[in-house]
Formats: sequence, structure tokens, C-alpha cells
Amino acid sequence: MLTATMFLSIPLIMLAIGIYGLVSRRNMVRMLLSAEVIFNAALLALLTLSSIPLYAATQLDKPAIGGTIALLAIGIAAAEIGVAISIAILLFQIKQHIDVYELKKFRG
Amino acid sequence: MNIPNLDLILFITFGIIAIISSIIVVEHRSLVYAASFLAILGITNAALFILLGYALVALFHLAVYVGAAVTFILFSITMLKEAPLADRPTRILATIVTILILITFTLILLTNTNLNIPAPSLIANYKVLATTLVTKFWFPLIIAALALIVTLIEAITLARREVGT
Repeated sequence: MLTATMFLSIPLIMLAIGIYGLVSRRNMVRMLLSAEVIFNAALLALLTLSSIPLYAATQLDKPAIGGTIALLAIGIAAAEIGVAISIAILLFQIKQHIDVYELKKFRG
Repeated sequence: MNIPNLDLILFITFGIIAIISSIIVVEHRSLVYAASFLAILGITNAALFILLGYALVALFHLAVYVGAAVTFILFSITMLKEAPLADRPTRILATIVTILILITFTLILLTNTNLNIPAPSLIANYKVLATTLVTKFWFPLIIAALALIVTLIEAITLARREVGT
């Protein structure tokens, strides 16, 4: 039988990989891709934890709440990708690169 | 034919693909390949959602995340070029942080080994999920819809903007 510990081990590894990518890169789009790996890990952990029937005998809609939050999170993530990529393209049009170290020059 | 432990075989297969895809997303030199493997990561994640019993969430994930968002990244990065890697001390720091996170969460997981999940059929109740969405979560639903509309307008505005204005 599958256990929640088995399911939680995958997002744990994905989270570690995503954080490594987020810290060790200077490319804005590559950092966004690493953040998306972390998002996928968080989503899998959320759905796994909401599946655990700690109170399922009395609250049958508890897994549905986890699924609902996941649906909303996917929608917001799609919006976030749109904004981040648009900013990256605009930055590339102005500076001809997408190095986040250069973003310091955008301070007001 | 009834295959014993089919769920376990599927779980291991999709889990390994998800982890390998994550590594390729972070480490591949080509941004196009990295974004392609992000799509594969999304597909395997959706398969894991189905194993957990959330088939509706998996379909939404495939349609909205893989179908729209990742494809948008894939097409957008064709007009960008690669930036250099971070300097060496930062990469060493990233490796240390990654190892610390792995150790910490592994210890947490090992101390909670009695967390069992129920059979998927107990969870996949679309009526309850849809009712919960429109009754308890109606306000976040409106905010999410507004966020998507604002993103659409913002993306069109930035795309039509002339350089230097």
C-alpha cells in the first residue's frame, strides 16, 4: 500500500533541486523554471497531506478542500508565469540580457 | 489480468521520471530543453495526482499548467539568450542549503511513518469538490479570475510597448 511518507519523499527531493537551481543561477528565466519545480513539489505535498484521513471519519469534505486549494494555486501559478515571462522579455528588449545581477541598476 | 501492486509500480515509475525531469530542468544547458522537461514534470505530477485520487485536479493541471503556462514559457524563451552561471561561492552555498533541506525534511519524514493515505476512490468526489469551490472558496475564485485577466492585459500591454518608451 502506498503511504504518505512515500509520496512526500518525491516533493522533498524536488524542493531541494528547485532551491539549488534558484540560488545558483543568474538567468531570470532559469530561476523561474526552478521556482516552477518548487511549485510542483508544493502542489504534490499539499495534495498528499490533504489525502491523509486524520479527521476523514467526521469531515468527508477535507480532501475536497485540498483539491480546491490546488485548483486555485494552479490558476495563480499560470498568471505568475505570464507576468514573469513578460517582465523577462521587456528586460531583454531594454538590456539585451536577462542577468538578474544587472537588475540592481533598475533601483529607483 | 490483475497486476499486483500496480499502484506501487506506477508510483515508482512516475516518481523517478519526476525527479530526473526536475534535475534536467535545473541543469540542462539549453533553455528550450529545460522548459520541455518542465512540461514532462507537469505530466508526471498529474499522474501522481491521479494516484492520490485527484483526477479533476490532474486534468486541470494538464490543461492550464502544462497546456498553457509551460507552452507559453517554451515559446517565449526562444527570443531570449542565456545568462552566465552564479559565481562559485554562491553555488557552494546553494549546495550546502540543498543538503541541509534534504537532511531536515528527511528527519521529519522518518519521525512520521504512520501516515497512510486512503484508496483513491474515497477522494475523487467531483460534486463535493465543485460545491466546496463555489460555496466556501468563492472569493479566492474571483480573485484568481481577476488575476488571470490582469495578467492577460499586462502581457498584451508589455508586448505592444515600443523599446525606449
